[in-house]
Amino acid sequence: MEIDREDGRRPNQLRPLACSRNILHRPHGSASWSQGDTKVLAAVYGPKPGTRKNENPEKACFEVIWKPKSGQIGKAEKEYEMILKKTIQSICVLTVNPNTTTSVIIQVVHDDGSLLPCAINAACAALVDAGIPMKHLAVAICCCLADSGYVVLDPNKLEEKKMTAFAYLVFPNTTLSVLPEVEGEPVEHGIITSVTHGVMSVDDYFLCVENGRAATASLSAFFRKNFQQTQGAV
Amino acid sequence: MAAKQGAAATTYSPKIMARTRPPIFKGSDLDWTRPDGRGFHQCRPALLQTGAVSAASGSAYAEFGNTKVIVSVFGPRESKKATSYSDVGRLNCNVSYTNFASPTLGSQGTDHKEYSSMLHKALEGVIMMETFPKTTVDVFALVLESGGSDLPVVISCAGLALADAGIMMYDLITAVSVSCIGKSLMIDPVTEEEGCEDGSFMMTCMPSRSEITQLTITGEWTTPNINEAMQLCVDACSKLGEIMRDCLKQAASASDE
Amino acid sequence: MALVDSSQDLSAEMEVDAFRRLFPLRFFERHLSESLRPDGRPLGKARDTIVNLGLVSSADGSALAKIGSTTMIAAIRMEVMTPSLDSPDEGCIAVEFHMPPICSPTVRPGRPADEAPVISKRLSDIISSCDMIDLKELCLVSGKAAWMGYLDIYCLDADGALFDAALLSAVAAFSNLQIPVVALNDNGRIVAINGGQEENASIREKEAVNKEKRKLTLKNIPFSLTCILHKKYILADPTAEEESIMDTLVTVVLDSSDQIVSFNKSGGNALAGSSAIKSCVELAKKRGKELKEILGEMDID
Repeated sequence: MEIDREDGRRPNQLRPLACSRNILHRPHGSASWSQGDTKVLAAVYGPKPGTRKNENPEKACFEVIWKPKSGQIGKAEKEYEMILKKTIQSICVLTVNPNTTTSVIIQVVHDDGSLLPCAINAACAALVDAGIPMKHLAVAICCCLADSGYVVLDPNKLEEKKMTAFAYLVFPNTTLSVLPEVEGEPVEHGIITSVTHGVMSVDDYFLCVENGRAATASLSAFFRKNFQQTQGAV
Repeated sequence: MAAKQGAAATTYSPKIMARTRPPIFKGSDLDWTRPDGRGFHQCRPALLQTGAVSAASGSAYAEFGNTKVIVSVFGPRESKKATSYSDVGRLNCNVSYTNFASPTLGSQGTDHKEYSSMLHKALEGVIMMETFPKTTVDVFALVLESGGSDLPVVISCAGLALADAGIMMYDLITAVSVSCIGKSLMIDPVTEEEGCEDGSFMMTCMPSRSEITQLTITGEWTTPNINEAMQLCVDACSKLGEIMRDCLKQAASASDE
Repeated sequence: MALVDSSQDLSAEMEVDAFRRLFPLRFFERHLSESLRPDGRPLGKARDTIVNLGLVSSADGSALAKIGSTTMIAAIRMEVMTPSLDSPDEGCIAVEFHMPPICSPTVRPGRPADEAPVISKRLSDIISSCDMIDLKELCLVSGKAAWMGYLDIYCLDADGALFDAALLSAVAAFSNLQIPVVALNDNGRIVAINGGQEENASIREKEAVNKEKRKLTLKNIPFSLTCILHKKYILADPTAEEESIMDTLVTVVLDSSDQIVSFNKSGGNALAGSSAIKSCVELAKKRGKELKEILGEMDID
């Protein structure tokens, strides 16, 4: 029941993760995040006084600017900006800094598949680095559905092209403390963001969700370890 | 040729556009018929409806033959442009076309700057600006389909939408255009007629007060022709005013029930 | 007079309309606790839906879809292009979603709405990924000419569930599409054969390239439903007011065989657990059947 991956990984094995924070001097927070060869740089400026367009006397506003590796921003990038903005808004505490704007700038360094999840993870790390108040982290993962009905996690670009369907899923990070359950399910099993491409059956979607959930545990652990390390260094 | 095979391949419409003047207009006979079979001094049947857009403070839909227009009015609301204090209100107009508004337009359909400013000029004389100081009334028009006499239809429709929004006005506003082809005058021209006209005449007026807020004349006109066109427009405007009044009355009685 | 410290107590003394404006969330929650929405709908019910076909005379196919007050007009123009080298016998569909300033108080001229490109992208993704249209049917002369379908969707009135209405109008416009009969002229260009004009007499004698291919076969029709997740409630087909107050939107797109074409949720305060996902899919299935019937009625006349 195993499917062979070109780079020799198991179906639900992620590519090597790397994250370094506070790498840029000007922004209030920054991070680079890489999953295999996919690498994204995120910078956070803010909270700044609300601009005319993003003024909201009750809540903090976020704006996301997506910079592709080369060329101009198109519809796909606009969609990414919108998804990222809504995801960030849902994990941050908006009432602490009302009437402010926080800019998140995403610079794609290299795209080798799973670009959007990688950007979400990078943005999350950068927000932590900037000290933006957050409810919890967001952990993003890409699940691919192969022809044979297998679910493959964190695909690279080659694999992404071959797959029939894929889903980008974002979950809250797994916590160590005991949280109340929502309708018999732990909170971290709830989906923050889901974006799918391609046709799949309902059961296949649930299979993706299940596999994605399982993977978030290791991603969350990586986040935690990384944050603890830097704290220790300071 | 290589460029043509890219993702953004250039395309063309297979329909052949008639570039030459249709033969019916070549002669000077009086027994021409207009493309839609109307008499020269007969307007197209008008369909007017208020409350087309629920999200707007007031809106109207107008259909004159193939010309279909929606106008939404927003406000009076906060002025978005950073400007100084003003004790009279502001009017902001915009006219845009859909990409499918006319077969010749192709994907060019976007903002129409000229019509936007003409609409502004036609409306500013009729709205009581002093009733909404410091704020802006936005009048946005979208031409769904262009079938000739677009601007007069937009202006009349805007008048109806303003009334629907409850913006204070001195009177309703109506607009009609006349085309001059050869020696004949045709009221409410369609696109084909506008394409081969020698001169055009458009009048915007307040039907009950018989006051004109805008008058544009382009092309070749003789004085008697101008007089005749003016008379035609005044008559048509007062009739259109009646139709608009009925439309508003109907909408009001429907909402009472 | 005693100081009223919570809005809950205020509600008894306040006029309904004022309460709705001042405490919108509480206003909605009180309705939801009675399993009813302010417009009188039960939670899982979509608004009345109307589809009209062929309203735009200048287009080759058009449709108007209305879900409650949300109104969309979609029109398709067919133009001829040279197909790309990698797929010489395939045509192309370009989807554009527009939000003109007339549709909503939040859109201003010269500053396009943020949602418009996102909805365009999603629509074109869905139309291509669920194989609704066989692009090979758009081929005219292999390697030389193929159809390029420009689908323009205009939002005339924005009152929530924009994506659902846009997809419905797009599907209806494709079902209304009449491909013009064309022939190849001597210069290698494709020209339309529309009887009546003398210029075309020579062309008419030529064989039409696409006599039989006047209609596209829609193999797989996607239908979508947007739901709001709020606490334990699931509200189908939200209005603009509901969307602005409760921010967790889930859009489910299912195809004819009830497979998921898209399951889209972007952020929001509520998390979607397994049971919520299942309920949304169930609601979307039900809605798909309703929409199929509405479109089915259209095809008869």
